[in-house]
Amino acid sequence: MWLVAPLLLVMMVAFNLPIVTMLAQSVISASGPTLAHFSEVVNGSVHLKVLANTFAIAGATAVLCVALGYPLAYWIRKLDTRHRAIALAMVVVPFWISILVRTYAWIVLLGNAGIVNRSLLGLGWIGAPVSFLYNELGVLIGTVNVLLPFLVLPLYAAMIKIDDRLLRAAETLGAGPWTVFWRIFFPLSVPALAAGAVLVFILTLGFFITPAVLGGGRVPMIANMLDLLINQMPSWELASAISTLLLAVTLLLFVFYLRLTQAEESA
Amino acid sequence: MRIASLRQAVSTALLAFGLSASAAHAQVKEIRMLESGGPSGDSIEEAYIMPFTQKSGIKVTRESPTSLGKLQAMVQSKNITSTLVELGATNVVQARALGLLEPLDWTAINPAPMYPEAKLPDAFGYQYFSTIMAWPKGAKRPISWADFWNVKDFPGKRALPDYPSYTLPLALLADGVKPENLYPMDVERAFASLRKIKDHVAVWWKAGAQAPQLLEDKEVAYAAAWSGRIVGNGKLEYSYNQGLLMPSYFVVPKGADPKAKAAAMALLREMSQAQNQAVAARIIPYTGASPGLEKFIPTERLDDYPTSSKNKKVQALADPVWTADNTKLIEKKWQEFKLGL
Repeated sequence: MWLVAPLLLVMMVAFNLPIVTMLAQSVISASGPTLAHFSEVVNGSVHLKVLANTFAIAGATAVLCVALGYPLAYWIRKLDTRHRAIALAMVVVPFWISILVRTYAWIVLLGNAGIVNRSLLGLGWIGAPVSFLYNELGVLIGTVNVLLPFLVLPLYAAMIKIDDRLLRAAETLGAGPWTVFWRIFFPLSVPALAAGAVLVFILTLGFFITPAVLGGGRVPMIANMLDLLINQMPSWELASAISTLLLAVTLLLFVFYLRLTQAEESA
Repeated sequence: MRIASLRQAVSTALLAFGLSASAAHAQVKEIRMLESGGPSGDSIEEAYIMPFTQKSGIKVTRESPTSLGKLQAMVQSKNITSTLVELGATNVVQARALGLLEPLDWTAINPAPMYPEAKLPDAFGYQYFSTIMAWPKGAKRPISWADFWNVKDFPGKRALPDYPSYTLPLALLADGVKPENLYPMDVERAFASLRKIKDHVAVWWKAGAQAPQLLEDKEVAYAAAWSGRIVGNGKLEYSYNQGLLMPSYFVVPKGADPKAKAAAMALLREMSQAQNQAVAARIIPYTGASPGLEKFIPTERLDDYPTSSKNKKVQALADPVWTADNTKLIEKKWQEFKLGL
């Protein structure tokens, strides 16, 4: 136990102390401690709207990841060992590519002169290029692409723990395939699914590159606003107040996430 | 035996450290600078750092990118990692208000003649750039910002800078305000003018490289861009008419090592020499603050540069003092404008 103490000290000094100092700026002003910065955040419509926008995009990303990731994980579970390995590798390989490169790759694919638009125009399916980029759709495509493995992999890990014998037992008792899925399989996978969705939500809150590149300045998320407040204005007290709010919300969600994963483990 | 040699090793190391520490105080071997990077950084390296290092033997290490936030962090933590920091004009005024700058020693710099707006007591204007109209080769040519705003006669999407200090003056020029009357800015009028074009703006760009890329990719038909990214690009055409002219400055952070600062003054002197500025202008089409630059640039290339006499006449000079004093106001209104509030 005491052997951990030096490492703990290093962590506290190198990691926790700078964060606490930065967050402390939110309650300090020239004339002593104050809540003025927080009231500025709460009363100003801009910051709240950007926060609301960020939560909306995070929610949409979580929903889309669930909609795409659950069938994917289910399908991988049903594959035989060799194909399963290939499928999992294809899910994991994008991690090896820098997120910046992946984000810019979407510009090449989805831009007005990109492959998708040129194919659709060439096939005659559309008359003018579709705006995939520089709007919320573009940002969602980017975030879902990056965060889908974060949902699929834990969900898959939970799914393969579901005993096949339970499913076969249900079948012998006369349940059709839909009933087997909906009343046996799905409830057993829900804790992992919910935990994965909360994880995706939390991760989207902090996204900076994707809205900056794919949003074209039209999709403000909280990280971009903080960049402006810290580097351009500079307004470190306000940035710190917003960061504290965001940290509080994220910690609440994280507690929720922990409860879900514990529920899953006891299930 | 081992302990004795360990003690010896430690004491030798301490001695060497002590010697080298005092040696560092005696003579500056290297100064560090924080600049924008990219071709701008390359131009500094070739045009100014090379002659400086040849004459003084001092190495210059460049880092990028630069920002006001980094300068503030340096000065507040009393850990000055760069002796020279590049800042835009507005950021210079803000930095001055925050007490982040050291006064420059102009007698030590002893510069060649410079335009007056480039010679500030605490900042050295080393590079002029313009925000100008650009479009793909062959498209219909707009004459003024009013044409840029006219989506009926000049159809297509637009790209504008995601920086109110650049875009608001353009909006005012489009609305018919004369360049000399731009400042103090009528902010409400500028936003009213921007609302007319807001739906046609596809991208509010943040990085200088985005604007020419968007034009080349046919994402937008017309863009406001930084001149250095457009000039020399064979696929694009541009006009300096009604361009917004701004200098970029080098400053010294408060609390910088006095010896390093003294060495940096000689580097700034190199930046004021017209022949060096001509070398830089070959790498990136931004010019320095020397009125005598025209002698060193071939006549057929003169039109490419923001400070050539022909181009300087038709442009508007940005006012960093007004912009800095009103930063919080215009940034807040800018975010509200973009959110549609």
